[in-house]
Amino acid sequence: MSRGVEGGDLGGARAIVLHRPHAVVASVTRQLQAIGLSVESAWPDLPADAASADFLFFDADMGFDAQFPWQPGAAPLPLIALIGSEAPGRIEWALSAGAQAQILKPVGDGGVYSALLIARHGFAMRQTLTAAVDDMRGRLGARQTVVRAIVQLTRGAGSEDAAYDALRRMAMDGRITLEEAAARVVATPAVDRRARKGTA
Amino acid sequence: MKRTVPIGLLFSTGGAYGTIGTACRNGVLEAVARVNADPARRIALSVVERDPDGNLDRYAPLCTELLQGGVRHIVGCVTSSSRKEVIPTLDRHGGTLWYTVPYEGFEASDRVIYLHACPNQHLLPLLDWAFATHGRRGYLTGSNYIWGWEMNRLARQTILTAGGEVTGERYLSPGSTDVAQMIAEIRQTTPDFILNSLIGPSSRAFLTAYAALGATDPRFAPDLCPVLSCNLTECELPDFGAAAEGLVAAGPYFHTGLQSFPNSLAAAADLAIRTLADLLDAPGREDADIAALLQTPAGHASGIDPQTHHMPQSALIARAHGGGFQVIRDCGARRGDPYLSADWMMAASPGRPPALKVVW
Repeated sequence: MSRGVEGGDLGGARAIVLHRPHAVVASVTRQLQAIGLSVESAWPDLPADAASADFLFFDADMGFDAQFPWQPGAAPLPLIALIGSEAPGRIEWALSAGAQAQILKPVGDGGVYSALLIARHGFAMRQTLTAAVDDMRGRLGARQTVVRAIVQLTRGAGSEDAAYDALRRMAMDGRITLEEAAARVVATPAVDRRARKGTA
Repeated sequence: MKRTVPIGLLFSTGGAYGTIGTACRNGVLEAVARVNADPARRIALSVVERDPDGNLDRYAPLCTELLQGGVRHIVGCVTSSSRKEVIPTLDRHGGTLWYTVPYEGFEASDRVIYLHACPNQHLLPLLDWAFATHGRRGYLTGSNYIWGWEMNRLARQTILTAGGEVTGERYLSPGSTDVAQMIAEIRQTTPDFILNSLIGPSSRAFLTAYAALGATDPRFAPDLCPVLSCNLTECELPDFGAAAEGLVAAGPYFHTGLQSFPNSLAAAADLAIRTLADLLDAPGREDADIAALLQTPAGHASGIDPQTHHMPQSALIARAHGGGFQVIRDCGARRGDPYLSADWMMAASPGRPPALKVVW
């Protein structure tokens, strides 16, 4: 999260400007090229390989969900809204589309560089948080499995604490998560485990 | 001898909203003629016209032409998207747009004077009337651009805050007349009212189809489930014919036979031209910026709010009947509140009386 916003590596990045032919496109393109990005403009359809671009500038005034080949808010690249009308409905839509930064129209001589850095930072932060939340959701979902595994292991280990230690050792030895180890315990019938223990 | 000051006109008299542009243009030309014929005034106005013909991308270049030709004040634009297009140009040249049609609010440009109603002056009083007389289950239709989107968003919010229900919401591209699905949904969900923010041919097609439904199924007759509109004025009634019968509209003005304007667009155009002539009357004022003009005695007397550039407007509710409108409720004059910063929404929140706060 403490990642800086240095922008030296913007050179060679690829940006798409999703806007009908307009002075706005020319201003954004000029600024992007000066920063060193390659630029394509498109309207109303995105190029097929849009997801592999590095930045997407989109029209918040006339844009609509069907333009994006991904779920609303799940864009695979940083999005920057080009806002003319500050009507709340349009802002709401730009947010739901996943805008991480915005530039107000008319676009003059500046604004693109800061928007690129802010959008990239916001996008990276969202990716990190999404991964962390997915991981925690997985662990939460496995709570019941862990409890069942502890209960099963307690019979052999003698106490809950000992069972928990045993489970943690299994996870460490197998280089798997505690939840995965618990899933294995639950999936293995107690007879098998006792049998294997006996022969060890 | 009067000084003559040129003003610009920037209305589309063709295209999807040409009827409205024409009504605005006529209103301005008649108002200019009245100013020029008024011996008490020290100025006359001459008109320089450009017609973008409904093409959004022609507004900014034509606005530039007008401003570079020595015009400082322009009356024009119907759609919000066209208004947004010219604001940067006005900014660059120090021009002012006098905007004479209803719009969806959430703007207070230094370069625009807003002379018609915004939502606290049209939509909120209209919904208040509908909640009290018909109920809180609404079906929302609109043309697929900022006017329809924003009106329906605000209506949805107002309906839900009041504990009502949105039974459906559907949009048509401007010019589209494909209304069958809307009619089917309305028939299936039997709302208490329909908010129609469609424009031009889409609105006519919808009203025609809905009138046909009402003729065969009394649940959809205008007295049981009316169509509401904040953008329909007398200028479109001849075109819509009997299909508009029973529609309930909100606006700052309706032609009642006693007064002189044919519709609220002409009334707003007259307000624009009279106010502009007042502001420019003293010698030398034609070169002043709008901010300076609003600081003059004429500016203070104009009623233009120097913060928002909006005007107080009467909030009238009227029902279409026999090719005209009859006012059925007068909610009094309301100052323009483009960002709804007063407690319009609060007044409808749970735990309080459901009716919006209205000064009768």
